[in-house]
Amino acid sequence: MRFVPWILFAVAFAAALAFTATANSYYVFVMATLALTAVTGIGLNVLLGLTGQVSFGHVGFYALGAYAVAILTVTAKWSFWAALPVAAVVAGVTGALLALPALRVKGPYLAMVTIAFGFIVEHGAVEMRGLTGGQNGIMGVPTISAFGAAFGERGVALAAIVLAALATLGYWLLARSRWGAAMRAVKDSEVAAESIGLDPIRIKALAFTISAVCAGLAGAFFSALSGFVTPSTFTFSQSILFVLVVIIGGAGSVAGPLVGAAIVVLLPEALAGLAEYRLLFFGALLLGVLWVAPGGVVGTVLRLVARRRPPRLAGDKAVALAPREKAGLAVEGLGIAFGGLKAAQDVSLEARPGAITSLIGPNGAGKTTVLNMLGGFYRPDTGRIRLGAQELQGRRACHIARAGVARTYQTTQLFGSMTVAENLAIASNDGGGEELLGFVGYRGDLDARAADLPHVDKRLVEIARALALRPAALLLDEPAAGLSREDKAVLGSLLRRIADSGVAVVLVEHDMAVVMGISDHVVVLDAGLRIASGTPAEVQLDPAVRKAYLGEEQGRATAHRADEASLGGALLEVGRLEAGYGAEPVLKGIELKVREREMVAVLGANGAGKSTLMRALAGLHRPVAGGIALGGEDLARLPAHRIAARGLVLVPEGRQVFPELSVLDNLWLGAFLRKDAAAADIETMLVRFPRLRERLHQRAGLLSGGEQQMLAIARGLMGKPKLLLLDEPSLGLAPQVINDLFAALDRLRSEAATILLVDQMAGLALALADRAYVIEAGRIVASGPAAEIAADGALEKAYLGAG
Amino acid sequence: MLITSALISGLGLGSMYGLLALGFYITYSVSSTVNFAQGSSMMLGAVLAYTFAVTLGWPFLPAALLALALCAVYGMLVEIVAVRPFARRGSNAWLMATVALGIIADNVVLFTFGKEPRGFTMPWATGSFQLFGIGVSPLQLAIPALGLSLAGALHLFSRRTRLGKALLAVVQNADAARLMGINVPLAILLAYAASTMFAGAAGIMIAPLFNVHSDMGTLFGLKAFAVAILGGITSAWGVMIAGLLFGITEALITALLGSAYTQVLSFALVIVVLAFMPNGLFGRAEVKKV
Amino acid sequence: MLARRTFIALALAAALPAALPVTSAYAQQPIKIGLVTALSGQSARAGEAITRGLQVAIDELNAKGGVLGGRKFELVRRDDEATPAKGVIAARELLFKEKVAVLFGGLDTPVSLAIVPIVNEAKMPFVGPWAAGTGITKNGAKENYVFRVSAVDEIVNKAMLAYAQKTFNSKNCGMILVNNPWGESNEKGLMAALGAKGLKPAGIEKFEGNDVDVVPQLTRLKSAGADCLFLVGNVGPSAQVVKSLDRMGWKPPVVSHWGPAGGRFTELAGPSAPMVHFVQTYSFFGKQTPVGEKVLKALMAKYPDIKGPGDVTPAVGVANAYDGMMLTALAIQNAGKLDGPAIREGYYRIGSHAGLIKNYDKPFSATNHDAVNENDYVWTQFIDHQILPVGMKK
Repeated sequence: MRFVPWILFAVAFAAALAFTATANSYYVFVMATLALTAVTGIGLNVLLGLTGQVSFGHVGFYALGAYAVAILTVTAKWSFWAALPVAAVVAGVTGALLALPALRVKGPYLAMVTIAFGFIVEHGAVEMRGLTGGQNGIMGVPTISAFGAAFGERGVALAAIVLAALATLGYWLLARSRWGAAMRAVKDSEVAAESIGLDPIRIKALAFTISAVCAGLAGAFFSALSGFVTPSTFTFSQSILFVLVVIIGGAGSVAGPLVGAAIVVLLPEALAGLAEYRLLFFGALLLGVLWVAPGGVVGTVLRLVARRRPPRLAGDKAVALAPREKAGLAVEGLGIAFGGLKAAQDVSLEARPGAITSLIGPNGAGKTTVLNMLGGFYRPDTGRIRLGAQELQGRRACHIARAGVARTYQTTQLFGSMTVAENLAIASNDGGGEELLGFVGYRGDLDARAADLPHVDKRLVEIARALALRPAALLLDEPAAGLSREDKAVLGSLLRRIADSGVAVVLVEHDMAVVMGISDHVVVLDAGLRIASGTPAEVQLDPAVRKAYLGEEQGRATAHRADEASLGGALLEVGRLEAGYGAEPVLKGIELKVREREMVAVLGANGAGKSTLMRALAGLHRPVAGGIALGGEDLARLPAHRIAARGLVLVPEGRQVFPELSVLDNLWLGAFLRKDAAAADIETMLVRFPRLRERLHQRAGLLSGGEQQMLAIARGLMGKPKLLLLDEPSLGLAPQVINDLFAALDRLRSEAATILLVDQMAGLALALADRAYVIEAGRIVASGPAAEIAADGALEKAYLGAG
Repeated sequence: MLITSALISGLGLGSMYGLLALGFYITYSVSSTVNFAQGSSMMLGAVLAYTFAVTLGWPFLPAALLALALCAVYGMLVEIVAVRPFARRGSNAWLMATVALGIIADNVVLFTFGKEPRGFTMPWATGSFQLFGIGVSPLQLAIPALGLSLAGALHLFSRRTRLGKALLAVVQNADAARLMGINVPLAILLAYAASTMFAGAAGIMIAPLFNVHSDMGTLFGLKAFAVAILGGITSAWGVMIAGLLFGITEALITALLGSAYTQVLSFALVIVVLAFMPNGLFGRAEVKKV
Repeated sequence: MLARRTFIALALAAALPAALPVTSAYAQQPIKIGLVTALSGQSARAGEAITRGLQVAIDELNAKGGVLGGRKFELVRRDDEATPAKGVIAARELLFKEKVAVLFGGLDTPVSLAIVPIVNEAKMPFVGPWAAGTGITKNGAKENYVFRVSAVDEIVNKAMLAYAQKTFNSKNCGMILVNNPWGESNEKGLMAALGAKGLKPAGIEKFEGNDVDVVPQLTRLKSAGADCLFLVGNVGPSAQVVKSLDRMGWKPPVVSHWGPAGGRFTELAGPSAPMVHFVQTYSFFGKQTPVGEKVLKALMAKYPDIKGPGDVTPAVGVANAYDGMMLTALAIQNAGKLDGPAIREGYYRIGSHAGLIKNYDKPFSATNHDAVNENDYVWTQFIDHQILPVGMKK
């Protein structure tokens, strides 16, 4: 069965050759045009399908090839075969040159650079009249001849079909090669590509060059086929047709451009009898094909005929890990600022080989920022990073990776369109690395697409891929996030084994049980500064750490309204709520209830699922399983804006004010759905949060963090919610500001608002709330009156991993 | 005299580019998609206004307003037919689909409106007066004024009205906007309506200086895309200023170096600017995160 | 999925019958006449004019019983989208698949030039009713199958210079040319015409067909001291030049190729339209010959949008195509069979024929493949909405 595609291709090309050898001149010409369009499409597929870069200027390369042949054969009387390599070189060099500006830009900017290039070639051909013949172009380009015999157009057409077959074969070889894999890696995740030592700029430039050469060759044959070149043949719309060839056929598939070229060339011919109505119908049919097969015809067909293939399972032989050298990572005085914000200052740490060094701290403390600097993703403003004797600071990520520092990401950055085996092979020097899958404990299919893996397998494969670099140091960003308790235990022992093999492991992790269980050394960051370091036990006892995590429990009025009579009936009822990202659920059967005029806190460590719960309740996270009822009405299937209309309003994590709008406008937007006059309520908010009055006409983005939080709450209240959800209101705020914030919340509570609060600052949250739930790994592990929870050990365990 | 006249014609053209480019800006900032066939929207504005005002003989103002309203409908059609089905699936085939719809629109107009270019003469648009020693048509000054005031109106609409603020909110933070009860798909639909209305307005304004036919918008649409990108597609004022700069640069190149260089040089400048300023002249770089 | 497949099937089913050639039910196969021209986009109107000229002639011929003992003519058209690459495919399709007897070309010189080698190799007659590039008929082929019933740029350009010198006593003319192949071909022709008299242009400026404002270019020409303008452009672009001149308040004499005749020039260019003097091969305004009256009547009967001579635009396209078709019918009749070389000989054997543009007398010979020459040009201007010979109305 493996040979079926080969047979299909061989039959298709043989049939094309046989037909062209016997058909009349019209069909010969159509077949030749089809073949040349396919060659250009194949080249563009290297760029679009493999590398993920778009070009709306490929007609420029096509024109360069065509003009090179026309000028050399007509003016300089060269033979076609002498001119052909020149055409390829001219197009290729231009492609490499265009790659310089083109690769600095992305998305629509890249589209524009390539459009401009196409225009420059077209109009350059018009203006450089001495060379190109201007608007009327060059006529009388001789046909190809070899061994003294002229090919004629039939011969050129046959040659073009052979060229298309060669290009198809070339694409197939490239796609299977290391370079092809590198291109797909860059397409899937530029960040991850760099982190395994690939240089995206060189890879993209190569793709640009290859695809330019293909277009140039096709153009060269076009010149010999048609016998003329004129600028009006090489217009922008022709570039669009080339892109269409790839998109409609199926980007990234071997047969895509062939099918695409067939559609783009033959459809207009089939419609030729419509005369002036041809373009109209072409447009309509095009739209129809795009609707039916937005991912390309080939992909759609392949999905229909796809067969189950037997999985190739990873072995479980445990190989010994051998880092290329044993070297520690030494960091001194590392600092970086974004805009005015100092995300990290003067951070020093040492990660010894064979040890696990953990970097912890509350959200926004700068842990990932430090990791990004170590891995070369950010360039530090100050400080030194050394791996053994090598200086690493300021070097690019791909160079740091090659120097021996590998990493994984908070959200896994696998090359999603590639298989597990390919992910490993691209990172490993010898193209293998599959035995590492056994080492990390991956037991699944080697040929599964990485994007389709369950969450835990993604984590494992990503770690295996990092290990395939045979790194001296391994940086891990929250590897335990989203894993089950059992999986976390497995992960912990894996990290230990990696360290034991002599790798210096640097771990950023929120799950304290994991951190405290396996770390040799812990460094604590808060607001970009190092506040403590030491063994896990030392750090757990450090008062500064406790304060940073739990907040201060000052002598605050904790007048709980335990008074049952003051509470109304159940306003929010959540039953067996499940939600997740991909295969692994983050929420596993949450049950909770909020009664009218009640303030309920949901507590738990980062990654426990609190924010997902809030997003699920507010409708930002869909789909969910289970029930969410507000006043008896089901919300589980409603989108966010309809839920807001029903009176459940979320003040989201990170405040998320509208930064370019004034404070006043932010408040007005909070009342977006209300038909009644909200002017009086704005005054109420300004009384409630006096700081906002001073800033009323400033842009919200200029407010301090605390002021933004006040604004976000006020904005939420403007909607007159039945139930207000607050997600991490104290996140990243200074202690004094947190006190002000909680005073404001206290006032709200006393006004009998119904509030569901999520906060890391368990002490403060418990001081305010009537009742609390503790959530761990997506499950409610404790619930009860706030005072009881405060006294319960489960909470501290969930936060600091201490018993 | 050469330079003054170049400045005046550049200003007029530039504000046209700016208006069309604002259309790109509106949809891109709300949905990260654009109507690649924006030139067809512009043509539609002019063709519809011509049909109402000349063929049917209506007074100019209601004709123009109804044309704009129909442009808005067309814009929504573009979003529903050629953008939403693809953007929803994360496919970038909307690029091709909007081009296809543009082809359809151009050809439907070709066969209904007619194949002949028509002159859209308005009594108040003819004649010229002397300014700084050169002849200027009142419309040439009115177009930048109108163009800038439309850009200003967009600014005011977005800053002063409930709906406008809702659109701005979607631009800045779509999730937070949903939490305010704002219907984001509807906002995107309206953005397409507004985008097409801007293009239509540009078409109606340019019509008396130009002529009306099914193909009139193609080159304009492309240059406007260049302008939108140059301005850094995320900044409204940036886009408008880039439009004026592009128009003036084109006219100056023609005036000083001759028309042979206009196309090649102006597009080469686009590449050079983007090579050194990858986010355009006024765009802001995004902080990259992992 | 089923619904989707059904949709595709329906879409194809809808498209295919329209794509299939209409086959005649007559026992006697009709003689197919091919036309490759721009039918969509900016030049759609010109393509339509050629179509109408051919169709009216074909209707008239068929009503008279056709040729070769009752064989009727049938017109088969293809859109070349004004690009040579599309044009050569379309020409091949008509020649080799549709098997037309004679092929007519369109208005774009590069498209016609690209088709010339094909027809010469295939030995099939190719008639140009519009494109004026000199090299189309003077293509250097040993056996030349290309004929033309239209103006020739080279000759028009000489006439433009002579007219400017004679009528306006101009000494220093500047060129304002649309930036397309036609404009470029005229630049060459005008340079040659000027050079032959030892003159140089005041300046050469080009503008895009979609340019709104041509003031910068015109200002350059004015600064260079131009005392007259040679204008080459289709009706829309020509109108843009006139409007720009209007704004500048500059009123030099404007001597133009036939572009303004392609549409409603007065409506497009405004009150200054009459300042442009342009060349024509034919005008439906004024007193008509019997042929002229017959053709105008036929046009008005067949096409409801034609209510008078003002709606026959571009008139030259209609007139050239009509005469081209009539001459072709004579050539086929002379040949006695549908064979390329025989029809080519047939063109040479045409004697006198009362055509629309003029009375032809041996219009083609082995050395002359252009039926229309400088003696057939008239200088005209738009007065209100009519094309009138210059000076007819003050």
